[in-house]
Amino acid sequence: MAGKDQPDASRRGLLQYLGAWGLGAAGLATAPHVSWGSSILQETELPFKNGHRTLVAFPQKRPLILLSNRPPQLETPFSVFGESVFTPNDAFFVRYHWSEVPTAVNLQTYRLRVSGKVSKPLELSLAEIRQLAGSVEIAAVNQCSGNSRGLMRPRVNGGQLANGAMGNARWTGVPLNKVLEAAGLQAGAVQVTFDGLDHPPLKNSPDFIKALEVDHAMDGEVMLAWAMNGEDLPMLNGYPLRLVVPGYYGTYWVKHVSSIEVLDKPFDGFWMSHAYRVPDDPCRCVAPLAAPVATRPIGRFDVRSFITSLTDGERVRVGREQRVRGIAFDGGEGITEVAFSVDGGRVWREAQLGKDYGRYSFREWSAAFKPIRPGPYALMVRAVNRIGQSQPMENLWNPGGYMRNAIETTHVVAVREGA
Amino acid sequence: MTRLLWGILAVLLMACGSAEALEIELPQDTTTYRPVDLPGFPLVLQDCLTCHSSQYVQTQPPLSSRQYWDATVHKMKNAFGAPVEDADIPAVVDYLVKTYGAEAFTSPGNAAR
Repeated sequence: MAGKDQPDASRRGLLQYLGAWGLGAAGLATAPHVSWGSSILQETELPFKNGHRTLVAFPQKRPLILLSNRPPQLETPFSVFGESVFTPNDAFFVRYHWSEVPTAVNLQTYRLRVSGKVSKPLELSLAEIRQLAGSVEIAAVNQCSGNSRGLMRPRVNGGQLANGAMGNARWTGVPLNKVLEAAGLQAGAVQVTFDGLDHPPLKNSPDFIKALEVDHAMDGEVMLAWAMNGEDLPMLNGYPLRLVVPGYYGTYWVKHVSSIEVLDKPFDGFWMSHAYRVPDDPCRCVAPLAAPVATRPIGRFDVRSFITSLTDGERVRVGREQRVRGIAFDGGEGITEVAFSVDGGRVWREAQLGKDYGRYSFREWSAAFKPIRPGPYALMVRAVNRIGQSQPMENLWNPGGYMRNAIETTHVVAVREGA
Repeated sequence: MTRLLWGILAVLLMACGSAEALEIELPQDTTTYRPVDLPGFPLVLQDCLTCHSSQYVQTQPPLSSRQYWDATVHKMKNAFGAPVEDADIPAVVDYLVKTYGAEAFTSPGNAAR
């Protein structure tokens, strides 16, 4: 019944504030015990069929778009990206693969184990990790491989996300190479695997373990981070320690890292050999609905850009100039140019780039927009990186629904003053 | 004065506490599969809820085909270790496609509400 496919008007777009929320009372004497808000706060409609969602406040989080309870999967409401270039910790997206997620971590007993092809296996407390080398900070975007999957055409099954499974933070930690050097890589080391405290509920399910090439793991940029935006990691973002892999999709950013193993052959676990794979083609794409001939593990982000100061359907005033603002990012080459169009991509004008927080960060941009006649305007933004990579008009397609980076359109309507 | 000292001590303990451990309590999962008079309904309650909440199914594109659901149930069993008996697979697939997929009379969005 097509009519029932749409939510009624009083619900759509209306953020229903149904109750108060708060942080729970104290729990264990030594552990801050953070419970969840007691009521569903808001509802929203993501811009695709069956996109109705509730917003729920999980521990240490403001109300976020709930994709699933078990395992917890939370999407950041897109308006957050218009508030600041760094995504607040309590709004940062959450994505797990298995429902046995850690809900209590005690630093007295937490240890990071480093084993495999190392000359000196290690078991390190967080305090020992923090003292291993000088701490470093990097501004970097974390983005889910399947961010925007719900917008893919043709549709792709899997987590149905809009554009909010991404975030930008300042990560503080120790370079991974310092930890691996302390353990001493043995000759013949090929890959390094990372496992966290989250596990599947059944023994015969493949645990979530990811691998990096040893050269990548040793590049000095990959980091074990204990803080984001100057505070301890929230539990649901990987407390007490997570991998930060600048420029790479979030699948590699293993949370609650508890075990690092150095291998002398490529890791063949499910989450590398069967999941998170893209067509082994420069475009990482195939014809819609086709099967790739060969695949490879997903890698770096492609180029993306968004308008954050206006939302789809918003009304603007004829004759009034405003700065349209937004963000752009890529896999680490760095954004060098952003173009803005008010006519659906026929004429492009150069936007002004904002402060540079480093080549892995969101880069803010802005452009003037003065509608001269009433009616609809299709606003578009397109970014280019240092090596000339940009964004396609239509989404490139792959069976995983990964890496969407089509030029996004924000439709606004210009109305006369007083209309 | 004593009260002030106790206050400072309490703040220090809390500060130490926050650095030493963290505990959270996750919200209850209040979603479940839509009760339908099909043999697959009790099976999804038994075989699917162990690992993931029903939103995994409810949020899929509405026109997901029988072929998709069949491939997915096989993947859940073979790749992820779901405790689905081979003999039960057709009934599970039938329930999923008729309740949430291409053969549903109403959209899964409605079913979830």
